[in-house]
Amino acid sequence: MNSTNDMLDGIMSVIGQFDFSQVKERLFSLTIEKSRLISLLELLRQSGFSHLSLITGIDRIAEEKFEVAYTLFSWQSGVTVMTSVFTDRIDPVLPTIMEVWPVARFYERDVHEFFGIVFDGNPDLRPLILENWDGIPPMRKDFDSLKYSKEHFPDREYRADFLAEGSDGDE
Amino acid sequence: MEMSKEVKLFLGPNHPGMHGNASVHMYVEGDTVIKSRMVPGFLHRGFEKLMEQRTWMQNLALIPRICVPEPDINEMVYAMAIETLTGTQVPERAHWIRMLILELARLASHLMAMGGIGGATGLYTMPHWTLADRDLVLDIFEKITGARIYHMYIVPGGVRKDLPEGVEEDISKLLDYIESRKDEYENLLLKNRIIRTRTKGLAVLDREEAMRLGITGVALRATGIPYDLRKVDPYARYESVVFDIPTATEGDAFARFTLKYYEVAQTIRIIRQVLEKLPKGPVNTRVSSGSALRWEIPAGSVYSHVESSRGEYGYFVVSSGGDRPYRINVRGASFPQGLYGVEKLLPGNRIEDVALWLATMDFCPPEIDR
Amino acid sequence: MSNEQTAWEKVANMLRSRSLWMLYYCTGCGAIELPPTMTARFDMERFGIGPMATPRQADILLVTGYLSTKTLRRVVYSYEQMQAPKYIVGFGSCTLNGGIYYDSYATINRLDLYIPVDLYLAGCMPRPEAIVTGFNELMKKIDRGEATGWKNYQENHEWYRKNQIDALGEVYVHDEFHE
Repeated sequence: MNSTNDMLDGIMSVIGQFDFSQVKERLFSLTIEKSRLISLLELLRQSGFSHLSLITGIDRIAEEKFEVAYTLFSWQSGVTVMTSVFTDRIDPVLPTIMEVWPVARFYERDVHEFFGIVFDGNPDLRPLILENWDGIPPMRKDFDSLKYSKEHFPDREYRADFLAEGSDGDE
Repeated sequence: MEMSKEVKLFLGPNHPGMHGNASVHMYVEGDTVIKSRMVPGFLHRGFEKLMEQRTWMQNLALIPRICVPEPDINEMVYAMAIETLTGTQVPERAHWIRMLILELARLASHLMAMGGIGGATGLYTMPHWTLADRDLVLDIFEKITGARIYHMYIVPGGVRKDLPEGVEEDISKLLDYIESRKDEYENLLLKNRIIRTRTKGLAVLDREEAMRLGITGVALRATGIPYDLRKVDPYARYESVVFDIPTATEGDAFARFTLKYYEVAQTIRIIRQVLEKLPKGPVNTRVSSGSALRWEIPAGSVYSHVESSRGEYGYFVVSSGGDRPYRINVRGASFPQGLYGVEKLLPGNRIEDVALWLATMDFCPPEIDR
Repeated sequence: MSNEQTAWEKVANMLRSRSLWMLYYCTGCGAIELPPTMTARFDMERFGIGPMATPRQADILLVTGYLSTKTLRRVVYSYEQMQAPKYIVGFGSCTLNGGIYYDSYATINRLDLYIPVDLYLAGCMPRPEAIVTGFNELMKKIDRGEATGWKNYQENHEWYRKNQIDALGEVYVHDEFHE
C-alpha cells in the first residue's frame, strides 16, 4: 500500500531529527530537552500528530528526576509517539503546552496534583480529584499508601482462631 | 442598583439524572446555564498507586474495576502492553476470542447507554427493555467466563480458558433475538416525536472544535469524520473482518445516539463473522519463564489503546524490569469530553437539558477519577 | 437488645417493611448491579421497594461498595437529612473490611465506624438475586423490630462524630464557587 509507506517515510523524516527508538510497528519513543519543548511539540503537531492522548508523570527517584511523557497520535497514519522530557526532582518546573493543545490544561492539573510539578503559564492548577489533602503529592515514590491507610482508617478486628471455635460444634 | 440574577446550582452527586457519581456546578440565570464546571473525584481509589504495589499477575484482579460499565477493555489494554514489552506472540484462536468478548462488551455498554438516554427524558420503558436485553448478554458472559460483570478472562498471553461446548449456538440465538427487537427500539426511540424535538439541535459540536478538544469516539464521528481505532490502528485481527463505520454530519445529541443505535447493528455483524471464522488451536501461551506469580517483564515504556464504546481508552505502562509495575497511567475516554466539554459546551443550554447532554455524551466518572 | 414492641409498633413496623423507598445514590462501583435489579428481569418493585430521588423522603440508603473520603462527607450529610426511621444496607465486601482497596489512601476500611449499618451483603459484587434476598432479610428484621441503627446514631452521636472527624478532618462541605 503505497500511501501508508509514503506516510511512514514522511513520519520517519520528522522523527529522525530526534533521539528516537522504535518499540513496535506503529509506536515510537522520543526524548527531547526541556528548553525546546513547545517548539518541538508544535512541529510534531503540524506534521500530522494532531491528537494529544495523555500527559503522564513518572517519578525516577533513583536518578533524582521527574519524567513527563506526552503521548501523541496521528489519525491519518495510526502512529503513536511517546515524547519524554526530564526535569529536576527538587522544584520541578515545566512550560505549559496550553497554546498548542487547550485540553492539556486538565492533564497538567492532574500531574500537578499527584506529583507536585509546576506548569509555568497554566492559570488553573487547583486540585481536581483530592479534597482537603494534607500530605505530600501521593504518587511520589516516597509516599507509603499502606501506612497512611492504617493510620487514618481503622480496620475491622477479627477474632483469631476460627477453626478452633468452629470445631466446638457451635453452629 | 444592579442585582445579579445568577443562582448557583449544584447538580450534585446525589441526583437521579446524573450518570454516575460526579457533580456539575453551574451558575444559572432563569433557566439558562451561564457558566459550568465539572467536579470529579468522588470515586477516587488511588488505582495507580495500588497497581504499583502488587505483582503483574495480582493486578489482573484490580484492573477491571476501573471502568465499571465495560470492564473488558481494561484487561485487553493491559495484556497488549505486557505482550509488547515481552514480545510474546498470542495464538490465533485467542485473538478471535478476544474480539468476541470485546464486541459483546460493546453491545452491553451501548444497550445501557440507550437506556440511560431514555431515563434522562422520562421515557422509562427504554431502560426496562434495554437492561433486560443486556442481562441476556451478561448470561452469555457467565457461561464463558464464570462471572457477570468482572470477568478477568483476557490475560497476558491469550485468554484464560477455551469456550465451553455449545456457546456458539447460544450466541447466535441471542443475536437473532436482538435483531428482532430492532424495529421496536427504532419505533420507540428514533421515531419518537418528543425525543426528536428535545434532542435535535442540542449542544452542536463542530468538527474543528472536536479535534481541538481531543474528543474521540461517537461524539467525533457524529461530526462527520470516520475515525475509529479499529480501522486506523488495528489490533486483534480487526483487519480480517468487514464492517462499516457509521457517521453523521449534524453533531448534535440526536446524531450521537442514532450512531449508537447503528453501531449495535455493526457489532452484531462483526460477531457473526467471528463465529464463522473462529480457527482451532491453543488459547494461551507463556509470557515469561517461571511461575506466573513472579513474572519479570523487561524494562521499557509502552502506550497501548483500544476503541471502547466511548472513545479511545489507553494505558501507559512503564516497567523497570522487576516483578511489579513501575508506573501505570490510565487514559479514560471521558477525560476530555467530561471535563473540558462541560466547561465549553454546556453554557447556553437550559437546565433540563443538562442531564440529557450528559447522557448522550455518555461519559463515565470512574474513568476520570480512577 | 430488648425487642418488646407495643402493638402499635408491631403494626407500624409491618407497614413500614412492606413499602420501603430506596435513595437512588450510586456511591461506588457496586452500583452497576442495581439497574438490573430495579428493571424488568429481577423486578424489585414487587416487594414494595421503589427508588426515590431525595433523601428527605427515603427510608433506605444503600451504600454500594467502597466510599472515598470525598463521598463520605456527602453521605453523612444525606444520612442526617433522612427522617427516622431509616436503614442502611452495606453492599459488598468493601464496607466490611476495605475489600480489594484495603491499602488505598482514599477509601475507608470499615463503614460502621462512621454510620450505623443494619445489614451487610457479602460479595464482589453481589448478584441481583443476592440483593433481593438481602432486602427480604431486611424486611424481616424490620418486622421483628431489630433494625434500630438510627437509634444507635442518636444515642452515640459523639462517638460517631469523633470517628468521622478522625478520618475526614472535617465533615463540612465547602462551597466550591470561588472562580
